[in-house]
Amino acid sequence: MKFGKKLATIAIAGAALILGACSNSNSSSSSSDAKIPSKITKKTTIVFWHGMTGVQQSTLKKLTAEFEKANPKVTVKLENQGSYPDLQSKINSTLQSPKNLPTITQAYPGWLYNAAENNLLVDLKPYINNKNVGWGSASASGISSTLLDGAKIKGTQYGIPFNKSIETLTYNKTLLDKYGVKVPKTMAELKTAAETIYKKSKGKVVGAGFDSLSNYYVLGMKNEGVNFTKNINFSGATSKKVINYYADGMKAGYFRIAGSDNYLSGPFANQKVAMFIGTSAGEGFVKQGVGKKFTYGVAARPGKYTMSQGTDIYMFKQASSMQRAAAFKYIKFLTSKKSQLTWANATGYVPVNTSVLNSKAYTDNSDMKTPKILKDATKNMYTLPVTKNANATYSQLSTIMQNILTAAQKKQNVNTQITNGKTKFDAAWKQ
Amino acid sequence: MKKNQTKAWLFLAPTVILSTLFLIWPILRAFVMSFQSGSLINLSWTGFSNYKYIFSDPEFWSSMSHTILYAVVTVPIGLAISVMLAWMIFSKVKHKSFWETTFFMPYVTSTIAIGIVFRYIFNGDYGILNFVLKFFHLPTANWLDDPSMSMITVIIFGIWTSLAFNIVILMGALRNIDPNFYTIAEMYGASSNEKFWRITMPQLVPTLAFLLTMDVISAFKVYTSIYALFNGQAGVGNSASVAVFYIYNKFQMVGTPGVAMAATVILFLLILLTTFLQRKLMKKIGEN
Repeated sequence: MKFGKKLATIAIAGAALILGACSNSNSSSSSSDAKIPSKITKKTTIVFWHGMTGVQQSTLKKLTAEFEKANPKVTVKLENQGSYPDLQSKINSTLQSPKNLPTITQAYPGWLYNAAENNLLVDLKPYINNKNVGWGSASASGISSTLLDGAKIKGTQYGIPFNKSIETLTYNKTLLDKYGVKVPKTMAELKTAAETIYKKSKGKVVGAGFDSLSNYYVLGMKNEGVNFTKNINFSGATSKKVINYYADGMKAGYFRIAGSDNYLSGPFANQKVAMFIGTSAGEGFVKQGVGKKFTYGVAARPGKYTMSQGTDIYMFKQASSMQRAAAFKYIKFLTSKKSQLTWANATGYVPVNTSVLNSKAYTDNSDMKTPKILKDATKNMYTLPVTKNANATYSQLSTIMQNILTAAQKKQNVNTQITNGKTKFDAAWKQ
Repeated sequence: MKKNQTKAWLFLAPTVILSTLFLIWPILRAFVMSFQSGSLINLSWTGFSNYKYIFSDPEFWSSMSHTILYAVVTVPIGLAISVMLAWMIFSKVKHKSFWETTFFMPYVTSTIAIGIVFRYIFNGDYGILNFVLKFFHLPTANWLDDPSMSMITVIIFGIWTSLAFNIVILMGALRNIDPNFYTIAEMYGASSNEKFWRITMPQLVPTLAFLLTMDVISAFKVYTSIYALFNGQAGVGNSASVAVFYIYNKFQMVGTPGVAMAATVILFLLILLTTFLQRKLMKKIGEN
């Protein structure tokens, strides 16, 4: 009996120790806000979590190798965390034990709202203004101020823009020429163009579609002068106008959604849809899919605004001052003119460095069609506001729109789905 | 006697410690967290507000009803087909072990891989299923992209995947039935129908009870097959969202672990209740 008791005591003590150790790690590693070292004096390893695949990943590896060659004291460990949703959930679950967080990560600011609230991120302003590690000032960085503002959380510069994309219109030039349809510039023109193609092809080719239904709604509202906030009345007149534009097209058959294909580049390459609005970073995939079947073209997104999307790089607080300095040097390298030119030309991402945007080496790139239209296409950009639940509601919008639009496709009453959508929309803002 | 008990403790210790740490502790933690709000790093007490939130969230109710629908339809149909197939292999087919292996294959293959193959089979534009239906002049459906079809597609896939494990276990049970029963039944001139219902089925009851419990629990926890079928989403417009999807989304994506844990507790209670009722029911059937 005594033995049993002893054993139980040991077991409980052991469990308590382990649990205690688990919970202790939460609080200890909060601040090492030492001065920014001017040089990397000892061997430093930094960890970079990212969600890049294919040519994006291989280009990132190439750039990193160049950086390590120029900075022999620094080792950058690139850790692929899968797709963006995987990366987001990995960060979310690791926030609980900050010691296991990487030095830097790719992320949308909305993902890190909680991390910022809990003081887990490094304010990068001192690093930007530091002459040794950074540029000396934000303007000297050459990064567009709109993009820098987009990487702020509640007014603090926690992120540096890295892989940015916008929404563009990709069209089947061969088909548009055949039917005598002009490349649409406004949403009204897009509708007429889509209708014409659908009719002239006798219903075989759908006119157009939008990859991201969340973006469709958010930009549709923005074009009507409404920002994305919790004050939006989802079943109000403006909202209904935006929704019905797409729903009418679904009913008549000239618009479609991506559905379980996830992206329209597949159906586009198979000539099932003539035009689609999607991310500029997808041009590589379009090019590969289309091959020599037909000529494709890229144009600015119809309507005034386009979405500025893609991730920034954020730094976590548990890093030592040496790691922080090394990581910032790495970020500076990645956003430099030379790196951004390599990056943009290989991947189709929009260069964050403005001098690249205007350089001939970029605009004369004959492999890609996005560079030529970028200047026009980036005049009016909109970024998702970083407020509580904005990101969650934005994701929820996609499901709400899918429900409304598939109902429209089956010629059911759209209004009941809009009412259902309103409940979900409001619930998402309130959680 | 007492000595025996101490030794038992010693042998049980690893299991007791591990299961406390990895099974009981998480359940308690989930229960505690369901009364807290905020992000994982900054939890604070909030009372019943998470429960209030999920009960008023239409997404929660649709996820729960999908889960129940899936369990109620998939499990009995899957079991019935399994019994039929197992009986056929056992009594009427040559090369039993070959067929047994064939039927067991899906169980050892990754659900994600099978799901991707099924995604091509079900595709509305170029899927083989619609091709076959058209060939026989039957109406086709948009299996993946029509929200009203999503659950049907998931259920078909669920039934198919449940067969593998069920058949193998049932084959084992069939082999264990004393062959003398059948010999005697034949001597008295029983038909094969009578043999099946009077001998085979009663002998299978304990195995069926086991399979029923296992299948129901795994049906309540369905996730991977939906993830694979719909390319990472829960169907177009969340039309195939189930409880685990809801929990995962609230925990990992939205960042409201409290809400996720409240849903977990409800799911846990639901599974507990169902299993309890099932055991009662099976006990009654066993007694008769």
